[in-house]
Amino acid sequence: MSQETEFIPYIVEPREDTGLYNAKLGIWLFLASEVMLFGSLFSAYILLRVGSFTWPVQSEIQNVPIGAINSIVLLSSSIFFIRAWVALKADDVAKYKRFMYLVILFAFIFLILKGVEYYQHFSHGEFPKTSVFLAIYFLMTGLHALHIIGGILVNSYYAGPGMYLRAQNKQWFINRVEVAGLYWHFVDLVWIFLFSTLYLL
Amino acid sequence: MEHDSHQDEFKRDILIYFCIIALLGVIIFINHLHLKTLGIFLIVPVACIEAGILGYYFMHLMTKKKTVHLLLLLTVIVFLSLLFWPAWDVAYSPRTPSEFTIY
Repeated sequence: MSQETEFIPYIVEPREDTGLYNAKLGIWLFLASEVMLFGSLFSAYILLRVGSFTWPVQSEIQNVPIGAINSIVLLSSSIFFIRAWVALKADDVAKYKRFMYLVILFAFIFLILKGVEYYQHFSHGEFPKTSVFLAIYFLMTGLHALHIIGGILVNSYYAGPGMYLRAQNKQWFINRVEVAGLYWHFVDLVWIFLFSTLYLL
Repeated sequence: MEHDSHQDEFKRDILIYFCIIALLGVIIFINHLHLKTLGIFLIVPVACIEAGILGYYFMHLMTKKKTVHLLLLLTVIVFLSLLFWPAWDVAYSPRTPSEFTIY
């Protein structure tokens, strides 16, 4: 019996059947699974909240100004990512790198502000074990922060050592950066819901 | 020509950016009104619009192919089913107050 190995064709142009290049279809499938992951946590939050007699006034526990600033920080990083991708498509590597560094810088600012918030909670004796709300707050924001760290790693690679890929195949590299951008915008999108749900409702 | 198109896209992206920030301001303002349940019914749709605008423009959903729309539609259907199934169960399960957990 002959054994044939089927490879997923390596393409940079959209396929006729899906209308997408494979990497983009791949990232959308991944993002769909991420929707399920965060969705299940939002679902748990809703069920815990409707099933409880009392629930804290979240905006009194949370530092809403820092949360709002973090929203603006992530939104700004999204805009910078778009600018970086546009610069890359226009072959302006210096501009691309500049914007990518800004994306990474803003991601770090987000994490620092998140750290300040966590520190404030801990110094007030508020830990995940303190209440159900705090447990789900730390779980969801912690998971989101892990996604931010993942994004920083990927973005740093494409802004630095991964640049050699551009020399191999320009379109390939542009597509990869676009895919990383989709992930980054998704992380931003999740934060919009996290801020509304865990800080304001 | 391409440069002009990039400039137009940039202007649009900046407009979208400030639009999302304005909506962020709206939900913070609603929160300051302390409307309780009504506040939830106002904040959630505005947050959905905010996220929708981000997805539509920044993630280029307006130009995406049918494959992506179908994939997202399936995801949303499955997610909403999983969300409302237990919610429905909780809502219609006969429970006495003592069964509730006080958090």
